[in-house]
Amino acid sequence: MTAAVPQPTSRTVLEARNMTRRFGGLIAVNDVSFDVREGEIFGLIGPNGAGKTTLFNLMTGLTPPSSGTLMYEGRPVLGLAPHRVAALGMSRTFQNIRLFKALSALENVKIAQHTRTHAGLWRGIFGANRAEEAQVERRAWELLDLVGLSDRAGEEAGNFSYGDQRRLEIARALATEPRVLLLDEPAAGMNTSEKGSLTAFIREVRDKFDLTVMVIEHHVPLVMNLCDRVAVLNFGQLIAMGDPASVQRDPKVIEAYLGGE
Amino acid sequence: MSDFLQSYGFLIVTLIQAGLLGLSLYFPLMAGQLSLASPGFYALGGYVAAIMLTNPAFAGLRDTLGNGIFPLTWLAAGLLCALAGVIVGVPALRLRGIYLALATIAFVEILRVVSLNLSITGGAIGIFGIPQAFGFQDRWQYLLIFGPLLALVLAFTYMLQKSRVGRAFRAIREDELAADAMGVPPTQYKVLAFVIGAVIAGIVGSMSAPFLNTWNAKQGTFDASIAILAFVLIGGSRSMWGPVVGGALLTAVPELLRFLQDWRLVINGLVLVIASLYLPQGIVGALAKLRKSPPPARPPIAPAPDAKGGTL
Repeated sequence: MTAAVPQPTSRTVLEARNMTRRFGGLIAVNDVSFDVREGEIFGLIGPNGAGKTTLFNLMTGLTPPSSGTLMYEGRPVLGLAPHRVAALGMSRTFQNIRLFKALSALENVKIAQHTRTHAGLWRGIFGANRAEEAQVERRAWELLDLVGLSDRAGEEAGNFSYGDQRRLEIARALATEPRVLLLDEPAAGMNTSEKGSLTAFIREVRDKFDLTVMVIEHHVPLVMNLCDRVAVLNFGQLIAMGDPASVQRDPKVIEAYLGGE
Repeated sequence: MSDFLQSYGFLIVTLIQAGLLGLSLYFPLMAGQLSLASPGFYALGGYVAAIMLTNPAFAGLRDTLGNGIFPLTWLAAGLLCALAGVIVGVPALRLRGIYLALATIAFVEILRVVSLNLSITGGAIGIFGIPQAFGFQDRWQYLLIFGPLLALVLAFTYMLQKSRVGRAFRAIREDELAADAMGVPPTQYKVLAFVIGAVIAGIVGSMSAPFLNTWNAKQGTFDASIAILAFVLIGGSRSMWGPVVGGALLTAVPELLRFLQDWRLVINGLVLVIASLYLPQGIVGALAKLRKSPPPARPPIAPAPDAKGGTL
């Protein structure tokens, strides 16, 4: 059954209610409700196929919901096209990295500033977009600095290592100027030292940009260190939610991961 | 000089025309959309000009405007093709890849069959006796309108590519879903790219009708779709110079090999096969690989408001 929605102690940014998505007979996300508070790092864990990525896809408009609602700052999100969700202030990275691979790192980050810039066709053609372009350029370099890739700004994104691609995806997501950042398995494909510095990096980003962060992650030490609260999905249902330590001790969670009698 | 223009002027105009049609197909391709609709819009633009220049209904307008009628035909063709581009593009661009290509071929065929059967387009005979633009005496004089048009389209393309709209096109070409998630509305930009291509093809058509003196249903055919696609593929689909080089080359080679008589078509076919085997990025793409582009220059920390961007 759905876990009880906890009383938020600070302001609620995201309010998910009874979110459901069916694919034919399969219920990938089943009646999921939760609140995410401003500024927290909210972990989403669960066994493979539990519906975590589908939940992210619902939240960012990539998959239309079967039913349920999601409010962001009091505005409904479900049913909006992905670019509208991005414009509202929610941005994401992808589990299976979806950078613009044949384009340079710099251009990847410039593209993602689309919703925050305005030059249309004619302003571009007549070069009346200089000030805005300079701004876009400057911001792109700053974001590459942040993820430590500015010395490789001109290289094709597809040539980067997994770890670097994940960091570039975070820079690209930040370029949309989000208030909520959704990270889908940011540590996957990173080596041990990269994983080690990821916790500090995500915190730094959260503080620097005043973000609320939702993160799907399998790497247990990372989740335990990073997240303020953790929700556990199993077969599309939310089976536990709370601080990482208590979730880790929850018998239902142990059963979901290790199998029951 | 005038001897040279007398002999080769017609050919040069044809080369430019091919390059422009290549560019009209290049625009949808910039946004990752394989559209073969260019000959349809080219034919449409030509009919607009042919009708405005010969139909008795426009006689009064022609008398009032004199040579001013010619720019007006370009404008009318451009506007009508933009409108047609939106009407065709919005539903067709829901399709992807080869299905979009097929839908656009269908559009070209429908236009061809309709123009064969309407009386305003002259039916199967077409429209003939179209007056020469600005009273030109020689075909090479058409360089004076096609040349500036090519320069204008290239400048337009260059500026567009380095603008926010150009970035949106490239993002959609690379990964439509990721572009959407990063705030770029794909449908809007796909339709825009398609419409720009339609307008270019239409204006080229409206300039070509007086140039060819006659306009009929043979102007927009499936063969032309494939020929124009070949311009872009041989020249290179990742640079605006690709369609121009490809269009010029594929138009010039059969002409220059005229002394080979029927063998020239064999050579033309060989060029196509060899180029697609050994230059998958096209001629311009292969040349661009030889020249390493410098890393993007970082703007100064506190740039002046009018600071130039990087190399992108």
